[in-house]
Amino acid sequence: MKKYLYVVKTQIIKSMTYEFNVYGNILMQTIIMITSAFFWKALYAGQGNVGGVDADSMLTYIIVSSLLSVLFLTNVERRIQLSVQKGTVATDMMKPINPFGVYFAEDIGNIIALVFQNMLPILIIGCLLIKVPKMADIRDLPLFLLSVVLSFLINWLISALFGMIAFTAVNIDALIQVKKHLIRLLSGSIIPLWFFPPAVSKVLGAFPFVYIYQLPLSIYIGKGDCAEHLMQMGIQSIWLAILCGIFLFVHNRVTKKVMVQGG
Amino acid sequence: MIDVQNLCKDYTFKRKEPGIRGAVKSLFTNKRELIHAVRDLSFHIDAGEIVGFIGPNGAGKSTTIKMMSGILTPTKGSVLIGGEDITRHRKEVVRNIGVVFGQRSQLNWDLRLGESFELLKHIYRIKQSDYEETLDVMDSILGIKEIIDKPVRQMSLGQRVKGDLVASMLHSPSVLFLDEPTIGLDVSSKYALRKFIKEINEVRKTTVILTTHDLGDIQELCERIIIINHGVMMEDGNLSQIIDRIAPFKTLVVEYYDEIAPDHPSCEMIEHDGNIAKYKFMKNDTTAADLIAELSKLRPIRDVSIEEAGIDDIIRIAYGE
Repeated sequence: MKKYLYVVKTQIIKSMTYEFNVYGNILMQTIIMITSAFFWKALYAGQGNVGGVDADSMLTYIIVSSLLSVLFLTNVERRIQLSVQKGTVATDMMKPINPFGVYFAEDIGNIIALVFQNMLPILIIGCLLIKVPKMADIRDLPLFLLSVVLSFLINWLISALFGMIAFTAVNIDALIQVKKHLIRLLSGSIIPLWFFPPAVSKVLGAFPFVYIYQLPLSIYIGKGDCAEHLMQMGIQSIWLAILCGIFLFVHNRVTKKVMVQGG
Repeated sequence: MIDVQNLCKDYTFKRKEPGIRGAVKSLFTNKRELIHAVRDLSFHIDAGEIVGFIGPNGAGKSTTIKMMSGILTPTKGSVLIGGEDITRHRKEVVRNIGVVFGQRSQLNWDLRLGESFELLKHIYRIKQSDYEETLDVMDSILGIKEIIDKPVRQMSLGQRVKGDLVASMLHSPSVLFLDEPTIGLDVSSKYALRKFIKEINEVRKTTVILTTHDLGDIQELCERIIIINHGVMMEDGNLSQIIDRIAPFKTLVVEYYDEIAPDHPSCEMIEHDGNIAKYKFMKNDTTAADLIAELSKLRPIRDVSIEEAGIDDIIRIAYGE
């Protein structure tokens, strides 16, 4: 455990080396946040309430969604691709430490650095330009935090699984983009699913993506009641378990394959 | 220490045809070819030995070393390190070995060198006192503390290889695998590196297995060499014994006063240019002194020199040129 904590620490130091990357993401998130704020303001013009959510809650939804997107930045897929291309996987697996544990620790380290470098600035920009994103009911906070942790794990596992495709495909640049946009569009991070036709929304409810963004955000803005949230978190946990299972299965096969093929 | 039994490695690969047509075709066809990279290698290495693997490019040296260090799984055969099978007890065995690949680095590109060391210290659970002691030893050989605060990406190749060597020795492995460690290094870096290998071998009794194309490395370091070509072991043994066996000749260079060079039955003239003639003779047939005496009877000699068969000759003969 201690060794993984040390990886987290080195990654925090590393994240501080490339400052420009940080500014780029702040800029991009700010643009997405502001444009969607205008978009929702225009759509809500003259309407007080759509699908049980008023304009004000929708703006909160957008700001918090931007903040969460910082938490859900992963590097694991690129990391795997790079080590496969460079052929360092084999030597990584030589050490008495699990490489995927290292990738996970690195992503955690990244996020800790980003909380200060990215989340805080985006929060301040959001507060100044749009509104202060207050939580609907502060008593839901533990539930919200728990669902964010589960969301984070689901998101990380999906990224890691996409990354593992690199072991056979080597170059997965395009797939990384596919994954990114799948999550962007199908998770309700920009447009919540309750604006979709009911049939589509039902189908999407069966996929894991909704439980990455929309579930914690719904809890935050207080859409739906506690029972509904708990049930959805149940599905979220089931998805997490399923993805864990797939991950472990693929992980074992990939490790064996690397052993056979070498660097 | 290391026991290699009937080690084999086959690769399958897809043959690609040239051009766009070939590229499109290879998407649909599945023609695979089998390559025997390593065929039936068996040898034993004792603790404290320095063994050099030599052979031309693509001979199977790196494949062998990768199988011995557990990075590759052999198609057939087994590798035992300290009595344990590397493919079966990988986790336990890797703690006991260090690996350096000359062209790849295990150091963290963006961080200062020391950070990579600290990370390894945690990964291998090295005691702080042991860690400091190892660093001190490494510093006295390689001067590593001068560069320990430098980010790896700003290092020269020589410094980076030094860093990699130290990184591979931090957990005090009893076996060290080096795959072309001196590749691309300048003379003084090579010298430092050889000194390092000698020192750890003497002081820490580390068994060192290295592949190289640098004949200097072999002459300086290896008492034993294993020559591999086309995945087959050609020679295994002491360097001077191998020379005696497969190249038991010397070359006598004679300078005459004019351009007429005589022949002699106990030697073979291999080159004749102007006043200078080169004769190859077998050590068993005659001695240099006899030959000079015989030749000087035929023509007056101005100057002579004798060349020993060297490692270059061995390699040329063993590679089958």
